[in-house]
Amino acid sequence: MSTAMVWGVGTSDYGLFPERRVESLAWEAVAEAVRDAGITPGEIDAIVVGSVFGPPGVATRVQRGLGIPGVPVWTVENACASSTSAFHEAVEAVRFGRFGCVLVLGVDQMSTLFSGAIVPEATDPEGASSLPLPGLYALAAQRYVGEFGVTPEQLAAVAVKNKRNGLDNPRAQLRTSAPTTEEVLASRMIAEPLTMLQCCPTSDGAGAAIVGGDRGNRDDLLVEASAMVSGALWDHRSDDVWGYASVARAAEKAFAQAGRPPSEIDVMEVHDAFTIGEILTLEALGIAPRGKGAELAPAGHTTRDGAQPVNPSGGLLSRGHPLGATGTAQIAEVVWQLRGRAGPRQVARHGVGLVETMGGGAAGMDGNACVVTILSTQP
Amino acid sequence: MTSELGVGRPTKRRPGAAVGGLPVADSRPVLDRSDDGGDAVLGVRCTACRYPAAQTGIPWCPACYAPVAPERFAVTGTAWSSTVVAIRVGQRRPPFGLAYLDLDDGPRVLVHLAEPAVVPIGTRLRITGTDDGDLVASA
Repeated sequence: MSTAMVWGVGTSDYGLFPERRVESLAWEAVAEAVRDAGITPGEIDAIVVGSVFGPPGVATRVQRGLGIPGVPVWTVENACASSTSAFHEAVEAVRFGRFGCVLVLGVDQMSTLFSGAIVPEATDPEGASSLPLPGLYALAAQRYVGEFGVTPEQLAAVAVKNKRNGLDNPRAQLRTSAPTTEEVLASRMIAEPLTMLQCCPTSDGAGAAIVGGDRGNRDDLLVEASAMVSGALWDHRSDDVWGYASVARAAEKAFAQAGRPPSEIDVMEVHDAFTIGEILTLEALGIAPRGKGAELAPAGHTTRDGAQPVNPSGGLLSRGHPLGATGTAQIAEVVWQLRGRAGPRQVARHGVGLVETMGGGAAGMDGNACVVTILSTQP
Repeated sequence: MTSELGVGRPTKRRPGAAVGGLPVADSRPVLDRSDDGGDAVLGVRCTACRYPAAQTGIPWCPACYAPVAPERFAVTGTAWSSTVVAIRVGQRRPPFGLAYLDLDDGPRVLVHLAEPAVVPIGTRLRITGTDDGDLVASA
């Protein structure tokens, strides 16, 4: 099996851009990724697109501005993990020698579809019963409050950390203030115990990555691991809160592939759509024991100058959450961090980075899909 | 009917009638109150491993692949977790309480709480009826 490398990454700005064409967000990200990889568009052998809300045929609508005719193109929808699923497919294709250079794109323009919160999927029992996504995460948070004594201050610490980090991310949607713990807790209640400042905003944006083989370029990042899992039944038999097990399954595969323990990860971008999400994810990744994840942010372990910085970009809580684009945005940040070119966001140790994206919301399943990727600089 | 979806804006995500879109087939668990005092949540149970599901029409047991048969589940159980939603969702006006209820010898179902308040984990709840198709439970 061949080695897969990330040759280049790019993103658009993240925010609300209803006046822009959806393709223009994608073109911005792709153009930066192609420049970053130092290739010409004609070298791209295949395109994989992650998008949740389309429009239908979004890949082809993007492609018509790129001049990359006739190559295989496919679109992946795995909720929030759509574009890391697309990235996973690109990595597998390169590893198995199917293509030499694959363009991965994630894009969504949610401001043209929703005013305010995402409308729950009405075909789903939970959606039909008016359970919004923050409500689903709130149920997990309340379970944690009851089971492990997680405090409101511990939840808020995740938002304080990530929103402070986001101030240094010029592409983030929210970068106007770093709230205090008190301000996070005093913000408008969305679903108990999650307040407004503990919820990511819905956004427009795009991210792109160029994946290829080993071409001997020192700037390329080695894909040590890429693991994707779909959901499993989540029901009365499970001791885990919703979403936990799917992240754990993907993490176990990824760490086995990389041959590393979680303690060797220097920097992470994880799915913090809501504060409890980051806490659960870090436990499922093995960064903290079960029930102890809430201690990481208050203890400084996950701050930018901590032992294992998490979401130095500001995460979804600052960047925003254009569902299909989030995974590629996370990959871009980790690539910039590992190259040591993240500017004021740069973390000190940056040899090995991890990206985790968990997409979900389908009732009775512990997630729709989860992807965990481990990247490293070359020795 | 008011809509949160914007002014006459189409949306890829099916919004359903509850938020001003077209109706979709109802996938929520069904409460059967036809028997005197014999209320039950309808669903299926695996004939081999006894796995219970509130979803009907599934092709086989998703846990062990054996055939499933129709089943009536108890309307009582324990709260796995609960929350109070403070934002409007569709036509649901805040605040409203939601809980995951582990039915006795049955599946985990999402219920609306008659009183919008967080209840301790393990609280005994009983499904007392439905509200616009949603299961409603109280302590």
